[in-house]
Amino acid sequence: MKRIDLFLSEREIDKVCKALRQAGAPGYSVMRHVTGMGLGGEISEAMDFSSFGANAHLIVFCQPELVAAIQESVKPLLQRFGGVGFLSEAEPF
Amino acid sequence: MQSSLVLQNLLSAPVLFFFLGILAVVLGSDLEIPSPLPKLFSLYLLLAIGFRGGVELVHSGLGSLVLLTIGAAVLMSVLVPISSFLLLRTQLDPYNAAAIAASYGSISAVTFITAQSFLNVLKVPYDGFMVAALALMESPAIVVGVVMAKLAGGAAASTDPQEAQGLRWREILQEAFLNGSIFLLIGSLVIGYLVAAFSPAGVEKMEPFTEKLFYGALCFFLLDMGLIAAQRLQDLRKAGPFLIGFAVLAPLLHALVGLGIARVLGINQGDSLLFMVLCASASYIAVPAAMRMTVPQANPSLYISTALGVTFPFNVVVGIPIYMALVQRFIPAG
Repeated sequence: MKRIDLFLSEREIDKVCKALRQAGAPGYSVMRHVTGMGLGGEISEAMDFSSFGANAHLIVFCQPELVAAIQESVKPLLQRFGGVGFLSEAEPF
Repeated sequence: MQSSLVLQNLLSAPVLFFFLGILAVVLGSDLEIPSPLPKLFSLYLLLAIGFRGGVELVHSGLGSLVLLTIGAAVLMSVLVPISSFLLLRTQLDPYNAAAIAASYGSISAVTFITAQSFLNVLKVPYDGFMVAALALMESPAIVVGVVMAKLAGGAAASTDPQEAQGLRWREILQEAFLNGSIFLLIGSLVIGYLVAAFSPAGVEKMEPFTEKLFYGALCFFLLDMGLIAAQRLQDLRKAGPFLIGFAVLAPLLHALVGLGIARVLGINQGDSLLFMVLCASASYIAVPAAMRMTVPQANPSLYISTALGVTFPFNVVVGIPIYMALVQRFIPAG
């Protein structure tokens, strides 16, 4: 089992979720209002009124054979709008 | 300039709350406004100003002066980003130049509302059709900004195959006309117009919401703007002296052009001030949201910090009284 963590602006959640579904992801969890510090500086909710709000954290658990399709589908969006993704091993219990 | 104008503006409740927000950051207060509230208040202000503008539009009608003024406003929202882009391009890459130019071609609804409050304090009358001009100035600036970014940046150089084939017109138009704040403003304007024209009793029912709460909501929103503007001051270091100078001088220059147009059109003093404010203000809500989607290569900290960290405070604190003094000097009263 693989785990994919995606960090992106809240504004692009719908686009990325659609890409995940099209790539065949069996499911995903979305956490909004993610603040902190990124390569571009501080991430806060201060500009939420202008759609420049906080980040979102998406987590996907999937079989290894799906990873390539998900990467291919999501990577262009992260490159275009900004965001990062991480791949790691996961073990269900 | 009459010092009383400056004082009256500085001592108005919205501007004082704006200073309070700045002071909170400067003094290190833990004052914080929960994130959904500023968004709610910004939506409320757009809804209320749109509705009130629609109602006033019924009273003022759509005569030739109204249409000419609105047309001039739309023309300014095309010309300002083009001239700003040409100037900014001397120092910046095409994407950042286009995004900042689009911000300055568009408008700040809150600056406009603050100017209206200032006119109310001075008891200077103004017409509601200026809200229609406000609503119609957002979209052209976005379209012009994106087109300039793509033309100057070279669509062919893009790594995005869709983008390499040309402009993403659907996405551009979607952001320019269906962006949440623009959609709400234009929609509220149309609703206000329809209600006032065909169901006038509805206007009275809306009054407790659109009139009585308005001033307090503006104060609350400006308190938040003060907090954010002060926090954004750090980003100005990235902007550098050229952009900071642009953010102060461009509003003055655009306001002067607006004054000239207002004089030629022969509009009254109140509308002349609002027209100047529309020309002088820069967008930090609709345009940044649109630029993020359509020109992601541009650096948001540049176009937001100049519009919100410099031009907005400048206009709200000293710009409006300066423009009013010019109006009183060059636009005949009554």
